[in-house]
Amino acid sequence: MKRKLISALLCAAMVGTMLIGCGGGGDSKSSDGGSDGGNKLVYWAMWSEEEPQAKIIQEAVEKYTADTGVEVDVQFKGRTGQREGIEAALGAKQNIDIFDESADRVNRAWGAYPMDIEEMAKDYEAEHGNELLFKICRETAGGTLKSIPYQPYIYGFFYNKALFKEAGIDAAPKTWEELDAACAKLKEAGITPITGDTAYQNNAFGHHMARFVGQDGVKTLVNDPAVAEKVESGEIEDITWDDPKVAEAVKAIEDFASKGYYSENMSANVYPAGQNQEFAPGEAAMIWCGSWLPNELKNAVAEDFEWGFFCYPSVPGGVDDETANNVGAQVLAINKDSKMAKEAFELITYITAGEFDKKMTEEAMCIPTDKANGDAWPAELAGAKEGFDSTVTFYDEAVGAETNVDLTPVLNESVCKLMAGTMTADEFISACKAASGE
Amino acid sequence: MKRNKGMIIGFLAPAVIMFLLVFLYPICRTVAMSFFKIDAVTSTADTWQFVGIGNYQKLFTTDIFKTAMFNIGRIWLLGGIIVLVLSLLFGVILTSGIRGKKFFRAIIYLPNIVSAVALATMWKQYVFSPKFGLLKGILDTLGFHELAKTQWLAPENVFWALLFAYCFGMVGYHMLIWMSGIERISPEYYEAATIDGSNKIQQFRYITLPLLKGVFKTNITMWSISTAAFFVWSQLFSSVTANKATIVPAQYMYMNTFGGGNAVTERNAGYAAAIGIILCLCIVIIFTVCNAVIKDDDLEF
Repeated sequence: MKRKLISALLCAAMVGTMLIGCGGGGDSKSSDGGSDGGNKLVYWAMWSEEEPQAKIIQEAVEKYTADTGVEVDVQFKGRTGQREGIEAALGAKQNIDIFDESADRVNRAWGAYPMDIEEMAKDYEAEHGNELLFKICRETAGGTLKSIPYQPYIYGFFYNKALFKEAGIDAAPKTWEELDAACAKLKEAGITPITGDTAYQNNAFGHHMARFVGQDGVKTLVNDPAVAEKVESGEIEDITWDDPKVAEAVKAIEDFASKGYYSENMSANVYPAGQNQEFAPGEAAMIWCGSWLPNELKNAVAEDFEWGFFCYPSVPGGVDDETANNVGAQVLAINKDSKMAKEAFELITYITAGEFDKKMTEEAMCIPTDKANGDAWPAELAGAKEGFDSTVTFYDEAVGAETNVDLTPVLNESVCKLMAGTMTADEFISACKAASGE
Repeated sequence: MKRNKGMIIGFLAPAVIMFLLVFLYPICRTVAMSFFKIDAVTSTADTWQFVGIGNYQKLFTTDIFKTAMFNIGRIWLLGGIIVLVLSLLFGVILTSGIRGKKFFRAIIYLPNIVSAVALATMWKQYVFSPKFGLLKGILDTLGFHELAKTQWLAPENVFWALLFAYCFGMVGYHMLIWMSGIERISPEYYEAATIDGSNKIQQFRYITLPLLKGVFKTNITMWSISTAAFFVWSQLFSSVTANKATIVPAQYMYMNTFGGGNAVTERNAGYAAAIGIILCLCIVIIFTVCNAVIKDDDLEF
């Protein structure tokens, strides 16, 4: 009997210890170091702590706290951390007031969580809002405003102006023929015309193909599941890999490859080899990338490096011209369950407008998002400003070329091989056709 | 014994309950999920759409999944042979009484304590660089100028580059397992064999190898488990999205769970769960086959 009693007591003690050890604090409503939702804002940021953007955000937060007395718990999650964690955290009703990522991801993939801020943002938009960026935010959120854009970007060809001059090229190419001529001159001058990193080649291909068949055409071509219904209903035309325009587009790249316009390392340049080892030292004249490139290369290029930029050239008989570009932005959204929405919105205005938006342009070479800072574009992005301002049609990420996960790995490999000249146009088409499930 | 039953149950219960909660529940949930179409991992069960074995059917007819399985199969088989043979060789050498055993053991094990991200970056940006890479330098010095120009990270070669880099890091870990097995064998056997006139190779063939059967099984199981979870290296050797040449099932699973690359893509956590189940079954099969083929209970030492 005594032994039984001791056993029972021991068991009870052990279970009790385990429960105390494993259980969360009874008073805390947050399991992630967050606040209790009372007087502290929780902001999950997509940046890593050491990035210049993160440092400026931190400064903005400190200023906000000093001005308002509202404390902010900023958690820099990094891209991967944010993509893997935020949806689960929001779904589990974790206390998060503000979160950010690209407009597409926040408004579409995580669209169930942001708060509608049409009313709240009215005055802010009138004073600071960039028309194009707010249009993107609304369209990605199904017609209403659920996020505030910041950190805008545009994809395009960055080029080394000095190398263009050396090869005798006076103006940035606007058409495919002009690009062809420019590449020929560069090649003649012994300069590699185009380099790039494999990470961005689906994006380049998306732009290229969209010049021939438009963004919807690209999406149907890759069998994007999101447009399947529209194709079935006949709302958009179904472009297949057998389409003559597709063949024409692919052959245009094959032609460039056969003329040796692409770097010989094109298919082996795993990011950031192309930008760091070929473009920055001036071995190659052009590279396809997003407008964050000057910031990434600021310590790698020569002091007198002259940055040039042009949008993807138009093609004869094409659908879109250089006014259609992959322009986007990161966006800040407020959790629809936030109890501090007003404070959260005020913090967002600190980050996205005025002093700290300007600081982003100076210290992280970003495009300004506040229209009042319209003339604060970094000198390195002067060319990109022209492309950005002239953009009428904005493309999705990679112009929809990366929307079919079953095809994306094959497409990326095939585009790189096509540019490297190790795959023909016909082989390219049959590889993509098989992988896209046609 | 009977009197202690209550005690046994009492002490086991908390651990068993925790095990069931932490392991069995996720396993059951994953199995269940694999029969549904689910938007996000955390979606509530009322939003799940039942698709039967649809996810499995789709997997077995999807080219990129077959490619991923082929790639992981190659990594398991070829990488396994390379790693286990090399690690055994190093293990035998290091336990043969050579000088500086601790130093060499530490050196060979070193890659295991360096983060995979740092290691992979070193391999792709430095060792395999066609501009100033280590490999290029070595080959140029040896006079193989054509070979030195090889684009190691181009789609044609990147799988082998990845496999080589991965194996390099894994040898140390398996070497330690071999060494612990070898050191368990009594030196008396070797002394007796030496007196009987057998050479080192004969000793290895007739004493070391047979007595390492159990360790071999452990090594294969450990290798299979780490291979099934192979993800970081492929991810680091890829562009933003997975590459065809290096895609593995865990990467494809990730793409279907969190979306692939920068673009917003259709997600299906149920489909991803089905991939997890298939990988799990592969390990169970390997483990069962190993147990059936390698009998290590016939020798006692």
